[in-house]
Amino acid sequence: MNNRQKQGYIAAIAAVVLLAVLPLKIGSHSVLSLMHLDVSILSEMLLFAIAAMSVNLLLGYTGLMSFGNAAYFGLGAYGAGLSIHYLNMNFIEGAIIGTIVALLGGLIVGPFLLRRRGIYFALLTLAFGQVFYFIAYRANEFTGGEDGMSFPRPYFGFPGWHTDLHEGSFYYLMLLVFAVVLVGFWLIVRSPFGRTLQAIRQNELRVRYLGLDSNKFIFVALLVSAAMAGLAGALYGLLIMFAAPLMLDWQQSGDFVMIMILGGAGSIWGPVVGSLIYVIGKDIISTLTQTWQIYIGALFVICVLAFPGGLLGTLLNSIARRDVGAPISEETVPHKAWESGAPASSAAVAAEQKES
Amino acid sequence: MLSNVAPSVFNGLILGAFYAFVAIGLSLIMNLTGTINLAHGSFLTLAGYLAFTLVSKGTSFWFALILAPLLTVVVGVAVERLLIVPLYKRDPIFSLLLTFGLSLIAEEVYRLIWGPNGVPFSAPGILGGGISLGFMQFPTLRLFIAVVLAAAMVLLALFLWRTRFGLRLRAAIQDTEMISAMGTNIQLLYMVNFALGMALAGLAGVLASGLLGLSPTMGNALLMPAFVVAIIGGMGSLFGSIVGGLLVGLAISVTTLFIPAANEVIMYILMAVVLLIRPRGLFGTEGLFG
Amino acid sequence: MAEVLLEAKNVSKHFGGVVAVNSVSITIEQGSIYAVIGPNGAGKTTFFNALSGFYMPDGGQVLYKGQDITTMPNWQRVQLGMSRTFQTPSIFPELTVYENLLIGVQSQQKIAFRLRLPSVARKKEIDARIDELLGFVNLVHLKDRPVAELSHGSQRLCEIAMSLSVDPTIVLLDEPMAGLAEAETERIMRVIRDLHDRLDLTVLFVEHNMRVVLALADHITVLDRGAMLAQGTPSEISNSQIVREAYLGQEVLNRV
Repeated sequence: MNNRQKQGYIAAIAAVVLLAVLPLKIGSHSVLSLMHLDVSILSEMLLFAIAAMSVNLLLGYTGLMSFGNAAYFGLGAYGAGLSIHYLNMNFIEGAIIGTIVALLGGLIVGPFLLRRRGIYFALLTLAFGQVFYFIAYRANEFTGGEDGMSFPRPYFGFPGWHTDLHEGSFYYLMLLVFAVVLVGFWLIVRSPFGRTLQAIRQNELRVRYLGLDSNKFIFVALLVSAAMAGLAGALYGLLIMFAAPLMLDWQQSGDFVMIMILGGAGSIWGPVVGSLIYVIGKDIISTLTQTWQIYIGALFVICVLAFPGGLLGTLLNSIARRDVGAPISEETVPHKAWESGAPASSAAVAAEQKES
Repeated sequence: MLSNVAPSVFNGLILGAFYAFVAIGLSLIMNLTGTINLAHGSFLTLAGYLAFTLVSKGTSFWFALILAPLLTVVVGVAVERLLIVPLYKRDPIFSLLLTFGLSLIAEEVYRLIWGPNGVPFSAPGILGGGISLGFMQFPTLRLFIAVVLAAAMVLLALFLWRTRFGLRLRAAIQDTEMISAMGTNIQLLYMVNFALGMALAGLAGVLASGLLGLSPTMGNALLMPAFVVAIIGGMGSLFGSIVGGLLVGLAISVTTLFIPAANEVIMYILMAVVLLIRPRGLFGTEGLFG
Repeated sequence: MAEVLLEAKNVSKHFGGVVAVNSVSITIEQGSIYAVIGPNGAGKTTFFNALSGFYMPDGGQVLYKGQDITTMPNWQRVQLGMSRTFQTPSIFPELTVYENLLIGVQSQQKIAFRLRLPSVARKKEIDARIDELLGFVNLVHLKDRPVAELSHGSQRLCEIAMSLSVDPTIVLLDEPMAGLAEAETERIMRVIRDLHDRLDLTVLFVEHNMRVVLALADHITVLDRGAMLAQGTPSEISNSQIVREAYLGQEVLNRV
């Protein structure tokens, strides 16, 4: 295990421990209550982090601009809500069905998205994402239409044991789910499959000329992403006991992309940091002012213009100079120069000779 | 039956013409600079509100119809120069996010200035009434809108195909590197191109206000169908956007008559079918970003 | 006579109204070093791209070991045993040399789709294979450097090693000397020779430098303005009147 990996493990454990102790009370106060925050905001933060990670898998690792992941998020919420409302499912069943519904959404839309790349891919994700919005919006007898649908939060458990979840225990369950997803994500991006995705981001043509059907990899990445977003959406539905068309909307997709960019694309922790800033920032701003949307919008604009590598990325870069992950933020200009076969810099040649 | 279907079809075509207008503007900007302009709808709404304010301050409707789009062009170009230009060299996701942020800000600002609900904005009396087409009465306003939109499209086509600048613009859309090597001022092309998109959005904004109702979200409501229209027609094809727009408008109006609940979903079904048959859209060619 | 490995029959390709390649046929036997040569704009790379599945030809047929692969997707051709390089090295710039080769070795070992990490034994096997490939192109010392930092010549060598990582039968090299200094050209020429002599591979390469082609190839096709000008062994080509005229004219033009 090298030093960087070691630092990674320590950071991960420290973060989870910190998240676990945040709601704990010392006397009559916890860190959270001193900040006038509710524990459910932390649950929301973790779930939005998972949704942003689902975008990260596509954008940060595979290089596919997905602007439609809210569709899977919303499908997850509706999947859980409808199955609980109409079929009396329990908590675990609801979460699983929500995830499966989102996965099915990915299966339907995926083959269309696969055909294009770059901004056309983004455009298709944007357009196809809206289909589900309108279906939820229009099927009002079934889904409650524009007003959305409320549903109860069922008990959590297995045959033989179950418990009601209040906001505190719900949060710890979310922390557990989050830790599992994080580890799973970490394993995926380090697996041969994950490495191939990162290779696709850099040069899909070369991947194909190494004998790999890149479409197959992209399709699976889409499905994994859809399932992750769906799981986050299902659990979010269970958190707020509500599902509404706005969860499926492109503006919600934009929030997820922004959360990922805030923290830094292509890094494991980026979406988590981004979600922390976004969810808590939004909560604080919206208690201070009615016109919070202006400030969120301004945050996006400033972040895009001033911190292209994300806040986490910029911070770490200034500390370590080396980027945490794959910088989709880098200007494409140096690539272009390289592609046009710019003569090798004499510095590079000299450096190589020195090493050999 | 005809008296029932014909007006719907006409209305659908006019709605489709609006979509086409927005789609052409989006297409121009996207093909030249790789920017998916999510704030396009906000500029459209801005034009509507500017016209509304001008008229309520005593300006004539006709003057507002010209002035509001021009003001929108000024605001749009200022935003492009200040905020979007620095992003042209970077990954397209950043301009996408920037314009997304701008649309969030704009929507809230409109709410602050003009209120969260729609404002009444009606065309002058002369456009009230209707014109008899023999088999049906047709509202003058809609006919007027159809004529203005058609005239503007002809003007745009003349500009792009019959002027030197238009020729350069189309060449640049094909190959940005080549045109900049040839010495054309690429920044000027970017600016004029964006201004064209803004002018189309502005004109559509003023005209749509009288028809669809002016509210902070009016533009965004047109934005998504416009994306679908651009995809159906094929990105980068002016003609494709027009055909796509009319097709979608027609599909919506016919569906509204028979299955009203599916009138939004129908355009996505149409899009899926078109993409299955022609992955690049009806008139799409291999583009820079394909 | 050796077995025919790759065959093009009357391959044509046009872009809009421009005919880039006009009915070109070649036959590459197993174990040969085959060169396609021609001045710039002769359609060499277009022909090459049609062979390797970069795009489909508009007319004609491409056969691999007698099998029609004209419309086969490029990644499947690689699995059959055809790998290629590009005029400007097509690599993964942000990955290290090792990681670049890893993607190829994973593909060759059919584990690219796996979600679990390779076992220790497998990892050893992979690392050994990568070291072997890097040893072949003499890049071992740069193993852990991001490829983007490498010189142009080393990037090309890295790309050649990547094209070998998938265990090909034939390697297609598109202008392997393009943009290289004299010393680096010699290095690549040695590697191409080794591909044939040490690894028993068949090589097809595209080149515009007649000296390089005559020194390396055992079969040559000369293209000019999209059409076949001549075909034969190096001595036949160097004695061909038509080729001399075409090349003399070209060189005179180049000097002007």
